[in-house]
Amino acid sequence: MFVVEFVLLMFFVSIFAGIFGSIVGLGGGIVVIPVLTILLGVDIHFAIGASIVAIIGTSSGAASTYLKDKITNLRVGMFLELASASGAIMGAAIAAYTNSAALEAIFGAILLISIVPMLIKIGEDVPKSPELKGLPKRLGLKGTYTETDGRVISYNSTRPVEGLAGTLVAGILSGLLGIGGGAFKVLSMDLAMKLPMKVSTTTSNFMIGVTAAASAGIYFARGDVDPLIVAPVALGILVGAAVGARILLRSRNTTIRKAFAAVLVVAAVEMILSAAGVLP
Amino acid sequence: MNLKDPESMNVVIGKVLRYGVVLSGMIVILGTIGLILSSGTSETAPFLAYNPGTVPHDGIDVSPAGLLHGLVTFSAFSWIELGVIVLIATPVSRVLISVFLFAAERDRLYVLITAVVLAILLFSILVTPFIPGFHA
Repeated sequence: MFVVEFVLLMFFVSIFAGIFGSIVGLGGGIVVIPVLTILLGVDIHFAIGASIVAIIGTSSGAASTYLKDKITNLRVGMFLELASASGAIMGAAIAAYTNSAALEAIFGAILLISIVPMLIKIGEDVPKSPELKGLPKRLGLKGTYTETDGRVISYNSTRPVEGLAGTLVAGILSGLLGIGGGAFKVLSMDLAMKLPMKVSTTTSNFMIGVTAAASAGIYFARGDVDPLIVAPVALGILVGAAVGARILLRSRNTTIRKAFAAVLVVAAVEMILSAAGVLP
Repeated sequence: MNLKDPESMNVVIGKVLRYGVVLSGMIVILGTIGLILSSGTSETAPFLAYNPGTVPHDGIDVSPAGLLHGLVTFSAFSWIELGVIVLIATPVSRVLISVFLFAAERDRLYVLITAVVLAILLFSILVTPFIPGFHA
């Protein structure tokens, strides 16, 4: 394959990854990594380096749109970043001393199991808002946004400690594998903290850039960031994230939940197959 | 602009992210044009060979000095790397600016939370790559 063909191919793949990643709050790594490794036979180190760049691009590219429309909850994001950023360092440390395949299998299994509560609330538009008390009240973990049909949704949150724990797992996972952080972030906010789906995916999208940046230094220093790969990935992702953000603003919570549930299955299967050595 | 208004905080943080993305995108586009003009019809294989510690193909060290050398000699790869560094720095700047925005709101609790996140982040990006045994 010629350089110019490779650049064009990865540019278009990344637009697609950016659209999906910005809507479901996962960052697009689950699209970019298999295309690079399975289709193009690229070294897994380069694929993960590209995934880190894709995640930061999706996050930063879509966030300004979500912030302007006040869907992202800044305080929830900042609070949970305490756990995701610490987790990223722990993941990098764990990777040096343990068998990451075993951990990957465990995390994949957890993702697969979490599809059950997702399916139970598959038709849920906006959750019944819990009473604001205790820590969430002190931290101001509440918000208001306007739905596509003009309804003004006011919501509260609950169980911040469970939210932190889930986000810590998300951080460990991204430090360990360079992927998978977003899924656990969305699950923490949706299942534990009871935030509306759109708030969960856009706040996850807001956070994943910081989590990925935390482990970017290590990948960069090792030479895992290949300019030929990341150039079209970064550009395609930024275009895709801008498009995806506009699509999310017009989508219903139920649609986003269905898209997330589908992506959750793909992410879980990818992780389990990779742990089993079937995928690189 | 009234920084005590939480809506303006959203706008400021949104702008920081947008500027970072646009700047990074422009640098990467320039580098990519350079790459296609210089080696667009070359085979990809040598560009995709993995050698830890070096930038693929060019054989330049992954170091500030190596990057600077590449930039002044107009290596397309080094310019793309610079664009990627700007992209990585974008969420970090967002956290940094947030510390000041929360301070302007006199929200001490969140000044503390955001400052801790910033400290963890800087430690992770700048220090952990140099701790032996750490890998990701």
